[in-house]
Amino acid sequence: MLGALLYLRLHSLRNKVVQRVLRLRQPKYLMGTAVAVAYFYFFLFRRNPAAGPSSALAAQAISGVGSVATAAICAVACAAALVRIAFAWIAPADKPGLRFSEAEIAFLFPAPITRRALIHFRLLSAQAAILFTSVLIAVFFNRSGYLGSHRAIHAVGWWIILSTFDLHMNGTNLTLSRLRETSPHFRMWRLGVVTAIVAYAAALFYSGIGRVSAYLSGPDSSQAAPEAFLRQLSESPAFHWLTLPFRIVLSPYFATGPGEFLAALAPALILLALHYHWVSSTEAHFEEGSIAMAEKRAAAREAALRGEMPKLGGSRPKARPGPFPLAAKGPPEIAFLWKNLLSMRSALFGRRALVILMMLMVWAAAAIGPLSRGGGRGGVVAPIVVVCSAMVAGYTVLLGPQIARQDLRGDLPNADILKTYPLEGWRLALGELLAPTAILTAILWCTIIACSAAVDADGAIEWLTPGIRVTVALSMASAAPFLCLIQLIVPNSIMVLLPGWYQASRSRTGGIEMFGQRLIFGVVQLFFALLVAVPAAGAAALVVFSSQWVFGIGPSVVLAALAVLAILSSEAVLGLWWLGRRFEKFDLSTESK
Amino acid sequence: MIEVEALAKRYGSFTAVRNLTFSVRPGEVLGLVGPNGAGKTTTLRCLSGIIPPTSGSVRVAGHDLSADPVSAKRALAFFPDEPRLFDYLTVRQHLAFVARIYGVADHESLATPLLQELELDGKADALPGELSRGMKQKLVIACGLLHSPSVMFFDEPLTGLDPLGIRRMKDSIVRRAQAGAAIVLSSHLLHLLEEVCTNVLILKKGEKVADGTLAGVSAQFSNGEAGVSLEEIFIRATGGSEG
Repeated sequence: MLGALLYLRLHSLRNKVVQRVLRLRQPKYLMGTAVAVAYFYFFLFRRNPAAGPSSALAAQAISGVGSVATAAICAVACAAALVRIAFAWIAPADKPGLRFSEAEIAFLFPAPITRRALIHFRLLSAQAAILFTSVLIAVFFNRSGYLGSHRAIHAVGWWIILSTFDLHMNGTNLTLSRLRETSPHFRMWRLGVVTAIVAYAAALFYSGIGRVSAYLSGPDSSQAAPEAFLRQLSESPAFHWLTLPFRIVLSPYFATGPGEFLAALAPALILLALHYHWVSSTEAHFEEGSIAMAEKRAAAREAALRGEMPKLGGSRPKARPGPFPLAAKGPPEIAFLWKNLLSMRSALFGRRALVILMMLMVWAAAAIGPLSRGGGRGGVVAPIVVVCSAMVAGYTVLLGPQIARQDLRGDLPNADILKTYPLEGWRLALGELLAPTAILTAILWCTIIACSAAVDADGAIEWLTPGIRVTVALSMASAAPFLCLIQLIVPNSIMVLLPGWYQASRSRTGGIEMFGQRLIFGVVQLFFALLVAVPAAGAAALVVFSSQWVFGIGPSVVLAALAVLAILSSEAVLGLWWLGRRFEKFDLSTESK
Repeated sequence: MIEVEALAKRYGSFTAVRNLTFSVRPGEVLGLVGPNGAGKTTTLRCLSGIIPPTSGSVRVAGHDLSADPVSAKRALAFFPDEPRLFDYLTVRQHLAFVARIYGVADHESLATPLLQELELDGKADALPGELSRGMKQKLVIACGLLHSPSVMFFDEPLTGLDPLGIRRMKDSIVRRAQAGAAIVLSSHLLHLLEEVCTNVLILKKGEKVADGTLAGVSAQFSNGEAGVSLEEIFIRATGGSEG
């Protein structure tokens, strides 16, 4: 069994490497590889002494920040793991199974192999990926080095964390499968486990939140040493015992020396062995679930290749009413908006998406709550809202077009049909881009509303009257759709101009060359964002500066907004016209050869 | 109705279609036949405006496809061999979407009999994922017929249809031709072409080998023999080799 697995893995790896090396003859892969190698060299491997913590003071400062950041990252990671485990019990698959590829199912399931051997095959297969990931993370994320440990210790630490989690999820799936088969009280079992997880999470939260609140609202919180606070927190008996399972798993990673590492390794390996025993001794029929999982993953991969947004949970599409009634007469662009919004509904308003949104809101409320009690509302919460909104707005403008792909990119497989429609190219392009533009604009509008409410919440800026605030917000809101539209024209133009590059970059095969290609696309997107924004921003600044002395701030902001709208709309019209012309001449059969 | 003049399509150094000239008048059904790789699908895609020809001209319903593609496309419908549908639109929503694109005002009154004719009326609210391949093919046909095109291009129209569906498809093609439509269909099913087509165009390696009425082409390759089948004519015309 082990021999067969090794044969499969080693030959697959060798063929994969050979294939990757051979395809470097194509410029798109060669260029992607060169960019990725340059990136890793400059940002990860190349040590810059001037930027490092050379002085003792800097090292101390980084150490303080590091311990708090590490604790925060651990808390978030553990919470995410807990949520993932709870979710497996709350919404289990119809047929829980183990992760096998379709080819593995085709060859191994009918083969004369015991079920236990199949489980071992699955665990060993996962180990290959886990070992590779552990080494990779240890190499890449050890550069800052504030944890003061060795790369080998970090690699083993990561291996324990990932292996334990993998075994736990496999054990959960097998247990669910077993319970579904054998227990008439399957729902009661699930309810019981979920209740236990929720009770555990609540106990954990309340055992720590009191001390966190006291620390944040204390008069000398800014002066208190983060390490002292963390020590205090861990000395709380309830918190200490409740976090024990997580600390056992995480301790080897955080060991600062070989002695501490070996001491932490023993309990972690015992926990790992217990998990292994759980998985290997659970008798359950996982075959049907594994087949369903493999089919779902294959469908998701196909969808990704079609450029569709990854679906949360990978559920089958459902028939839904349109987002609005589509009249038979009217601009045909609206039909594309209607169609693309309809196809985005499950991703935007699906049950799981709403559950995740609600969890994020609870998390945000839990995080902001203690802060808002600590100081004046405007003083503490407002800057956080402004910064978060600005970050979301930035990500929406720069990364949103890469994620919201329900446009020409999503309809690439239907290009034949689209080209038979009696529409000019620019109208087809506009129609296809309307839905993602609407989605991204809605997000930008939310950030503008939040920012306009939170900026200078204490009223320190004299000239920022409510009227000016609303005027600026409305001006920015009116420019948002054009900005989003232009940003969406960029990746669609890349797709039409270089479909070979586009198809390679959207495939999920990964690899360093893909990483490089995505970097190139990211840089192109950023370049165009600047190219579009700089003239508009310059014009706005010029108009405000030259006219505010004559008309006052309010009217000058309106004039600036009109100038920005004129520039952005001209750019959008030009971009749409060009994209439409390119799509009219677009010949996928030529490009795919 | 369809006028093709010196049509050529090249992919780099490879010529898929060269110097193709023919016409299809209202009421005619032209069968496009040829071995694999002869350039049938490329020709159909050029005729329907999906890919631009390298040279030559195509006029559809009096409109030049290069100069006035919108007017030309308003008159045509293309039916691909592989049904391409929007995953999240139901059967009914597909028809509503297409109606808006082509500006078909009374699409609901047209859609109902069309769905009945194609036996899709029970699946009006189903997504493509819930349809069999044959049903998907029927939906593509329904979408294509909704705006009552006067020019139709079928690429392997019978693929995936059951025997009854094949019979209905053949009847539908003949009926629409009798109503004045100009139709081009490509297929490897030569008995279908014998039953449905008025004219035939044989392609080999991107070039026209024969073009004309079934009787005319038969006479050209029958060597004076009587009752020679289209299959035999096809083999004689193409030399029995790959495209």
